[in-house]
Amino acid sequence: MARSEDGTFFGGAGLVWKWQRLLWWIFAINVIFAFFATQGMVDRLTPAISHSAESQAFVHGFDVSQMVSLMGQPDSPLEFQAPTVTHFSVVFMILMLFFTGGIVAAYVRDERPTATTFFEACGHHFWRFLRLLLYMLIVFLPIGGLVAFASHMYDKIDDKSISPFPAVQFFVASAVVILLLMVIVRIWFDMAQVIAVAEDEKRMHKALRLAFGLFRRNFFSLLWLYLRVSIIAVVIVGLCLRLWMLGLKPESTVAAFLLSQFMLLIWIATRLWQRASEAIWYRQNAPVVSPEPVWTPPPVIAPIAMGEPEPYIPPTT
Amino acid sequence: MRFRFAFAVAAACAVFSVVSGAPLFAQAPPGPIAPHVVATADESKTTLSVRVVAYTIDAKLDATKHTIAATETLTYKNLTGKPQQTFPFHLYLNAFQPQSTFETEVRRSGTRGAGPNSEWEPKHFGSITVDKFEADGSGDLTSKMEFIQPDDGNTGDHTVFQVALAKPVAPGDSVTFHLTFHDQLPEVVERTGYKRDFDMVGQWFPKVGVWWHDAWNCHQFHANTEFFADFGTFDVKVTVPQNEIVGAGGDLVSTVQNSDGTKTLAYHSEDVHDFSWTASPSFTVVEDSWAGPNGPVAMHVLMSPGNMPSAQRYIDVLKGTLRLFNEWYGPYPYDRITVVDPPHGGQDAGGMEYPTLITCGTNWNMPKGALLPEIVTEHEFGHQYWYGMVATNEFEEAWLDEGINSYTEVKIMDELYGKDHSALNFPFAQLGEQGAQRISYLSSPDSDPLSRFAWKFRNNNSYGAVTYGKTATMLLTLEKVIGEDTLRQGIHTYFMRYRFTHPTGEDFIKTIEEVSGKDLHWYFNQAIYGTQVFDYEVDDAHSDPLKWWDTSMAHPKPADGIYRTYVTVRRKGDFTFPVDLVVKFDDGSTATEHWDGQDRWMRYQYDRKAEIVSAQIDPQNQILLDKNFFNNSYNDKSDSTAVHKFRNLWVFASEWLSQILSWLT
Repeated sequence: MARSEDGTFFGGAGLVWKWQRLLWWIFAINVIFAFFATQGMVDRLTPAISHSAESQAFVHGFDVSQMVSLMGQPDSPLEFQAPTVTHFSVVFMILMLFFTGGIVAAYVRDERPTATTFFEACGHHFWRFLRLLLYMLIVFLPIGGLVAFASHMYDKIDDKSISPFPAVQFFVASAVVILLLMVIVRIWFDMAQVIAVAEDEKRMHKALRLAFGLFRRNFFSLLWLYLRVSIIAVVIVGLCLRLWMLGLKPESTVAAFLLSQFMLLIWIATRLWQRASEAIWYRQNAPVVSPEPVWTPPPVIAPIAMGEPEPYIPPTT
Repeated sequence: MRFRFAFAVAAACAVFSVVSGAPLFAQAPPGPIAPHVVATADESKTTLSVRVVAYTIDAKLDATKHTIAATETLTYKNLTGKPQQTFPFHLYLNAFQPQSTFETEVRRSGTRGAGPNSEWEPKHFGSITVDKFEADGSGDLTSKMEFIQPDDGNTGDHTVFQVALAKPVAPGDSVTFHLTFHDQLPEVVERTGYKRDFDMVGQWFPKVGVWWHDAWNCHQFHANTEFFADFGTFDVKVTVPQNEIVGAGGDLVSTVQNSDGTKTLAYHSEDVHDFSWTASPSFTVVEDSWAGPNGPVAMHVLMSPGNMPSAQRYIDVLKGTLRLFNEWYGPYPYDRITVVDPPHGGQDAGGMEYPTLITCGTNWNMPKGALLPEIVTEHEFGHQYWYGMVATNEFEEAWLDEGINSYTEVKIMDELYGKDHSALNFPFAQLGEQGAQRISYLSSPDSDPLSRFAWKFRNNNSYGAVTYGKTATMLLTLEKVIGEDTLRQGIHTYFMRYRFTHPTGEDFIKTIEEVSGKDLHWYFNQAIYGTQVFDYEVDDAHSDPLKWWDTSMAHPKPADGIYRTYVTVRRKGDFTFPVDLVVKFDDGSTATEHWDGQDRWMRYQYDRKAEIVSAQIDPQNQILLDKNFFNNSYNDKSDSTAVHKFRNLWVFASEWLSQILSWLT
């Protein structure tokens, strides 16, 4: 079993590497969108500070007071691009919803995703996956309720307890539980997507039901598969963040850009790794689907003539 | 502007007098004053302050109900030079009721603990009730107590009452009042109250008003106001359950264990104008001391559960602050300072000053790079000078305590922790105290003048921005005019001259002018009494070949090598101020100009064998009142490093938002 899990785990990484063009395209689109989303800020910021000696406050360090001062200027050269960034992020999300069919198909079939096959799969599964997304939002509703309940309980514990630590411990524990629940839901829906592609299942509720049964029977196996990759992603991104904050010189903008993009690339790669591993796992562990019984006409038996009975011939001795 | 301000004040006084029907409560107009108290020769020799009041209070805390039952004896010495028959008293705790002026203003404009439109929460209900009021020679006057509202006429406000004696108290004579009262503490709100087993008992007893500028000064409690009181002595007995750990703004005289499971602690304090105390069974006491020129100063730090990692931070900054205040501004005359660390959830009790007792603020996971505990401790200790000893009227001229204190906070924190990172000190982000005060100022630079009465500011944000941030920024900018050392000497003189008195803004201004030897009214009229906006910019800076029409001389450089360089500087705001302009050329030469800033703009012209490299107003960034530093300079060569840095951050944020959303798909 362990060997099989390892095969799935490393096989997923191999699949991402094998069809890495998917990774690069997603990464490129994300970066391009982010540049578009922030272009307005750059356009306003450049004339405001690029000829000013005061811009050095951001070069050899990061003076928070100057940033706040810049944000407060009437023409808002440093206005947070929240609406624009959000719009581009939503568009990216919709694009990813579209691409997911192609991505999962590539991993399930283990075929080179040409533009034709990729977009064909994208279009083929888009509405199905949109329905899955809606189902997932419904499933997330009780988790949202749990978040509200945990928040309420946190306030209550914090209010009553003389020490701050019981509330902190509750917060950590509830955060772990909520994150775990979200991950479980994500794995369930990931498997539903794999089933939808692998079996060309049109009925998403059926895909969800099959995925639920599959996940329930192989809960720890699939959870560990997902979490292992997540841990790798979090560790690498955390180390990179630490390097960015503590290791890079303040004026190293090129190095900071490369490092930040490396983090993004790792994040996308590990998410694809999870999908690829799940696809392989499904190929290896998919239940043998017994074919629907095919109706075949019964054999034709010639009628026996209903004439005189055969004469009884007694046995001879 | 000063005339307009005085007119506004006079008009406001007239309105208030009519509304309140209490002509005794005329508000003092700003301006030079004569000494407001008459000290006897004997007193000034033997005491630090002229002692007008002597309070003796015996209080018992019900730690479960958070109530206090107390008796108070107040002996008031009439040093007003006039017979006094009517006396006003503050009842601050009555502010915490839905119809009070305090809550009305909080609902309208917010305060530090609650924003505009905040809902009334019954748990924050607080009250103080005087059950009995007697005066020697007048008998029981309880029925003659009368709530008054000298500021706004809001009859729902019960934070001030007055009572008339049977006969006037002659000048130089004393009168003794005997009061019985009880308090209901609110759950912590605006510096006072309880949280779980923690009780912060501040502004908790009936306190007599101040005879000032030939009138009683006893304002209602407002959302943005603090306090004003006369100096004197306090003998306070506090009875609490025996498991309570108590801190107070006085020297512990005795402790008696009572048979009913309580204990009574007696405190004495003198030459102060208030007394507060705190109690909690959960405190951990950390003791230390600082050897000052007047003897050791005992430091009692009462730490709440979970916050012990910050105890040493409190002590370190306190020692540094004591040292620098003594070196720079004047001696700390008391033998003690108590630091109260409020528990989690009780932070509204934090960041407050009382004589020889301050409340600070931290939490269990406060990073070392965030110097909030240090800043709050320094700030509240600074109030021992600006409020505690130099006891200005916090209702009417809040900038004199909060503002000057914010300035000295910058100086002390910068000295102790480094100029550019004395507020935040992380490898990836830094913030100096100077910058922090400037941020505060920039959040509302021109809504109100510094000199406005505290409750008349546009809103809570403007009060904070102007009173704290603008005053600090204004004084930091003043260093540019008279020099840092001169200003320090001026503040030292102001402290030594006015400690244990009630000076005004004009006293401060006159002292600074006297020490600097300069007439600074041109500056203070704008910075203190005005709302002028300060913004200078380099409007244009470029070089052109002198013989630009001669095409043969155009490239790559003119044959004669001479360029004409123009630099135009502009005053965008109304605030006029002399500024220095430094122009640098590519042959390494520089030109320095001094512009008086009177006109709207000024153009400088140079004919040199060099092109301009940069032009910069105020190269040292000393004029902190300037709203926009970014237009103060022009570099001929563009440097996009900062833009790239911002773009990196924003691109990164955008990408990760996309990733979070796409996880759902």
